[in-house]
Amino acid sequence: MNTKAKDTEGSENRGVSGCDLKSVLSKIKLPLEIRIHGRGGQGGVTCAKLCALVYSRLGLFAQTFGDYGMERAGAPIRAYTRIDGNPIKNRNKIYTPGHLLILDPSLLESGALVGAPHGSMVLLNTPDRLSSFHGFCEEFRFAIVNATQIARKHGIGASSVVIVNTAFVGAYARVVSLPIEMVRETYSSLGLLNDFAAAQEAYDAVNIREAITPVRFPDEAPDSVPGSPVEVIPLTELTQDMPTPLKTGSWRTQAPKYVTLTPPCNYACPAGNDVVGFIQKFHNFGLEASSEILLATQPLPSVCGRVCPAPCMESCNRALYDGAVNIRGLERWIGDHASNYPIPVKASANPKTVAIIGGGPAGISAAYFLARAGHKVDILDNQAKLGGVLRNGIPAYRLPEDVLDRDLERLEALGVSHRPHELITPLRLKQIALEYHAVIVATGQAESIIPRLAGVDLPGVEQGLTFLNRVKSKGRENIRGTVAVIGGGNTALDCAGTTLRCGADKVVIVYRRGQTEMPAIKEEIRDILVEGVELVLCRQPVRIIGDKAVTGLEVAEVELGDPDESGRKRPLVTNNLSVISCDHVLIAVGQTANRGILPSDWVVTKQRVYAGEEPTNVWLAGDFSAAEGTVAHAIGSGRKIAMDVMNCLSDSTESCVGNSSSIPELVSADNINLFCFPRREILEDIHLDVSTRTHSFEEVNLGILSGEESRRCLSCGNCAHCDACLIYCPEGIITRSGQDYLINLDYCKGCGICVYECPRHAMEMSLKS
Amino acid sequence: MITGNHAAATAAVLAGRANRSGRGFCSGVYPITPSTECMEFLCLQDIEKGHVVKVESEHSAMAVCIGASVSGARSFTTTAGNGLIYMAENVMVAAFLRLPVVMVVGNRAVGPPWNIWTDHSDSLALRDSGWIQIYCGNNQEVFDAVLIAFRIAEDHRVLMPVMVCQEGFVLSHTMALTEIADQTQVDQFLPQLNLPHRLAQTPRVVGSFTSSRMIEAHREQHHNAMRMAWDVYTEAQTDFEKTFDRRPPDPVVTYRTEDAELVLVSMGTIAETVNRVVDNLRDRGLRIGSVRVTMFRPFPFDALKKAFTGISRIAVIDRDISLGFGGVLWGEVRSLAQPGMVVQNYVSGLGGGDVRPEHVEQMVKDALERKTTGPSIFVGVGE
Amino acid sequence: MNRPESYQNSHLLRPGNTNCGGCGMSIAFQMFKRSIGDTPVQLVLPACCAAVAAGGFPFSAYGAPVLLSTFASAASTATGMAQVARLNSEDIRVVCWAGDGGTYDIGMASLSGAAERNEDILFICYDNEIYGNTGGQRSSATPAGAGATNILKGKIEPKKDIMSIIAAHGIPYAATVSLADPDDARRKFQRSIKEKGFRFLLILSPCPTGWKSDPSMTIELVRLAVRSGLFPVLEVENGSRWTINVEPDFSKDDLARYVSLQRRFKKSEIKPDEMGAEIDLKWKTVRMLAGCNTGV
Repeated sequence: MNTKAKDTEGSENRGVSGCDLKSVLSKIKLPLEIRIHGRGGQGGVTCAKLCALVYSRLGLFAQTFGDYGMERAGAPIRAYTRIDGNPIKNRNKIYTPGHLLILDPSLLESGALVGAPHGSMVLLNTPDRLSSFHGFCEEFRFAIVNATQIARKHGIGASSVVIVNTAFVGAYARVVSLPIEMVRETYSSLGLLNDFAAAQEAYDAVNIREAITPVRFPDEAPDSVPGSPVEVIPLTELTQDMPTPLKTGSWRTQAPKYVTLTPPCNYACPAGNDVVGFIQKFHNFGLEASSEILLATQPLPSVCGRVCPAPCMESCNRALYDGAVNIRGLERWIGDHASNYPIPVKASANPKTVAIIGGGPAGISAAYFLARAGHKVDILDNQAKLGGVLRNGIPAYRLPEDVLDRDLERLEALGVSHRPHELITPLRLKQIALEYHAVIVATGQAESIIPRLAGVDLPGVEQGLTFLNRVKSKGRENIRGTVAVIGGGNTALDCAGTTLRCGADKVVIVYRRGQTEMPAIKEEIRDILVEGVELVLCRQPVRIIGDKAVTGLEVAEVELGDPDESGRKRPLVTNNLSVISCDHVLIAVGQTANRGILPSDWVVTKQRVYAGEEPTNVWLAGDFSAAEGTVAHAIGSGRKIAMDVMNCLSDSTESCVGNSSSIPELVSADNINLFCFPRREILEDIHLDVSTRTHSFEEVNLGILSGEESRRCLSCGNCAHCDACLIYCPEGIITRSGQDYLINLDYCKGCGICVYECPRHAMEMSLKS
Repeated sequence: MITGNHAAATAAVLAGRANRSGRGFCSGVYPITPSTECMEFLCLQDIEKGHVVKVESEHSAMAVCIGASVSGARSFTTTAGNGLIYMAENVMVAAFLRLPVVMVVGNRAVGPPWNIWTDHSDSLALRDSGWIQIYCGNNQEVFDAVLIAFRIAEDHRVLMPVMVCQEGFVLSHTMALTEIADQTQVDQFLPQLNLPHRLAQTPRVVGSFTSSRMIEAHREQHHNAMRMAWDVYTEAQTDFEKTFDRRPPDPVVTYRTEDAELVLVSMGTIAETVNRVVDNLRDRGLRIGSVRVTMFRPFPFDALKKAFTGISRIAVIDRDISLGFGGVLWGEVRSLAQPGMVVQNYVSGLGGGDVRPEHVEQMVKDALERKTTGPSIFVGVGE
Repeated sequence: MNRPESYQNSHLLRPGNTNCGGCGMSIAFQMFKRSIGDTPVQLVLPACCAAVAAGGFPFSAYGAPVLLSTFASAASTATGMAQVARLNSEDIRVVCWAGDGGTYDIGMASLSGAAERNEDILFICYDNEIYGNTGGQRSSATPAGAGATNILKGKIEPKKDIMSIIAAHGIPYAATVSLADPDDARRKFQRSIKEKGFRFLLILSPCPTGWKSDPSMTIELVRLAVRSGLFPVLEVENGSRWTINVEPDFSKDDLARYVSLQRRFKKSEIKPDEMGAEIDLKWKTVRMLAGCNTGV
């Protein structure tokens, strides 16, 4: 056994600067016996020693020793200090302490108070308030201090094993009216001055309550506390298993717990997809289970899995490690491969009728969620088929129509009815609002922006969307010569790709800013360049040249200035002109919503229509109300509005997923133990060979070859049942039953290994209450 | 005609085999003069359900015995002198774990100066180790004592190890006619070992830590079990006699002590010499007797008290020395001294020094003449 | 990761033991038990923290029969137990579970003896590189640069190469175990518990109290020791076939972090570079012995 006990007996008076020794001395009742109860690692024995050293500065004799057991950090220990004016001859342990110093409140239950005579002083380290000790220890002069908090704040010891002794002695000095200066001098002589600030804080923070019940001493004090003899099993007769009865949970100062935090991908998804949820489900339970999660937020997984710019992937914690998880590819894989099973419809107790104006992604989304909730939904659209921009705008080589149709089958199965060729006017809209319980206007941005540019009326100049729509509905056209496409968004790219497929000899995209500023999906830009389209960047078109037909596009050089409010560099047009000779110009500089369909007396506030002060039963959704520009945003918006509508119609308080306005705690890459995840190559999408793709409208991107990519998901902030906590727990007290882990806190010593080792930050440590 | 070493080994083999119906026999051994031949002999025997491990030290030899014994096997080893001292830690462990190991110590001086010859200082250094100690007077006793040692050690009232001490060379290497028992007899005398606290499959800690008050209880229990050893020994003697038709010596063997004025107390083979001197001097009219202590632990207080009745002078011959005190045996015997009794100590025969009748006569002369007990006297030094 | 099915009531080291929080040896016990399942074992514990952890009489913190042996004689005490088990044809595996003191130092002779005799024993050394039980004094397993209570400024001599010593005995199986590589550890535990003859496992077992590290860093420290090459993870079959099981990346950053997470290296002011030289030397030998055997 370890015997570090040191007697520090006898001492000379070293003198205490600035203190009236006599008055201090006169207050001490000698001989004084101090008993310290602590836990291994808190510094209880040193605490006893420090007390002795402080008193010895007064010229008193002191004796101090620890009661060494075989326990380790966290186990109860005792230490003793005797103070007297004469040499100390008593070498017994202390049974009737005049001062009791208790370093851990849980020790109160294990006999720390035994033997203390009435009127003794008890100093307790506790996070509780004095008021919570009402009716407790009233026969003692009772003081409390939160030394653990103070020591932790001053960084003394480790997070799970806080060394409280130096702070605690500061509190002790206050309780027994020893000048804090003496503590400072003692610490100084021991090279412990770094801890003095904690002692000073504890000195100031201690709370004292005088003894309340009448003090009757010393006749009450027992002479000693020997136990009655216990029958001891002979060594030759012990044959049974007697498991240790110790509950080591009482040693703990902090406890682990499981948490679920928001992964950045989930937060980034405009549609509100539970990205980690569907990927983990896929990884562990397969396609159908995963599809169920995906379809809970996403009516068009196959579509989004193709055309979404995937902000989730940009935010993926794996991005800077070995590349973002191909979330879009997975979404597509699941959307394409899961069975188109009938979506369960929740029978609504109070079904309503809802008209949705516009069959684009926002309208589809709103319809989908309303129908799932049991409402009767009609989509009124000016086209023959549902899909809006998905059907008319996006070329087939990016989004084949059958893919869209398959996604839409679910909508049909939900009983959503489609009313095609509806021409919406303000008057008609007002009528509709009277016919239905609610109306959602989601007509998107159907109007192309026409730039004020000389020569826009020349033959050979056309709006990009018109062109795309025509090719989509009527088929391939023959185009010869050079095509210049104005714009930097996806429509511009789609125009370029489509003209190329129509036989153009050369296609250039003219954009006024740099490539990084292009709003189009990065992968799409990459693809179009591979196909042979040229980018003419930092050029502002100023004039379309031509007599009877287009012969060229005059452009001005643009310098990039300071970033504007969107964060993109502001283009500054110079006088440096040049001409791009071309035979066709397609304009794709953006679209806008046709607000003209809204009656003029409707006022829109926060996507809801008001008649005067009164809210009406009309909402706006998708790009029509806020131009966010992606299908995913439109889907998210559609769902949000659908939820709002349902809330208003049913007075239910069911909140919309992802509707929370507060920013949740996100798991950053720093929170992830990336070393737990071997670097693994991204499973990239497969693309059609360049030479074949430019000659047909076959889908270019063929997606991923398997769902294997799901294993790359880190499941940030979401327990993935990897068992790391269980495997590394030194006590072996973490158990798993199915999908749940259980920590047996009776034994948890609070070491924190499980939390540190959790690869994905699905555990946290909390202080013991 | 066999040596003491072979007698001891033969007995151990017979005892080991006798446990073949039980959990067998396992022994850890290491060579050291003068016990080497005992261990060699043991190693060369074919013991059914038995194994002798040739380890790398005495310390490990006893450790093997501890491991074997705690697993319920019969266990035996042999060592001597410095080997025993090196083994000491585990010697104590075997006792404090209450394991019925039997060990033959070929008593040898503890060096340096290095000396391979006999001396009781080695085993007496382990006087307080919790072992029962038997000191043999001849080869037959060695053989018999090993068998009887297993019998006492394994008795549930006792359950502790037994050390059988034979003087190095004087017994270990001296050949003498020895009656060897046959296996059936031994099987009958030594039933299979059934260790109550055998470590089997039940989770349990053997040799765990205890609090101060608990270790006191365990020592008290051990001490009380020691005292049971006399009764058990007496029973075993009777049984032994029934089985083998000869009776092993009592814990205290007296020789012509009736009406004696002086008795000479000794252990081991010196007693034989003393007996010869007693005969001679009795012939010359001196009233002297001889007392041989065969069981040193537990110490036979009652038997000795009885032997000392009416005696006023005791000479204690020690083949050992507790430096700064005197003979170890003397120290124990002196605790029985009545007021006015002379209990004089003579230290002789250390490191194999031959204690001859002349030396004993010298002691008798001194003991009869002295008025009071004096300091220990070394007899025969430097001859 | 290994996926234990159920082990709730079958701890080898039970909850309620008195080891410090974050004890590496405790983790080793839990992993060992999960790996060996219901294989019946008897434990021999020489003086060490594992012996203290057993608890006070008459209680047991172990879910197996345990004998606390003397400090020096774990392997020889186990010899007796294993031999008797063999004589009685019992299917019980005798396991010595010793600290570095009971292995590298005082236990070396009996360990060597039992290894040479090829006793049917699994000898596991949980190496915390100090005499942890007595408060943290140097052992021959203490690495150069690490301080101990009896050598404040840090040890000068490098750590004893126990694996070479053990391998020289030509025993059937010897391996080092990284607690931060649970799959490899599990395989080694499973192999070593089954194999006949003398088997030896060395487990680097951080001691938060003695190393002055945060208890939550226990596994991280092992991970860093493995990655930096400080603790080679390897196995030796029949004393001759050496295989490297985990290839380190010899990262200087990992080494620096390993040192910075513990206060025991503080006083010696040892530079990771100096330790790096020692590592290079060690790995030259390891590579030579392993030839092209890599289990990676």
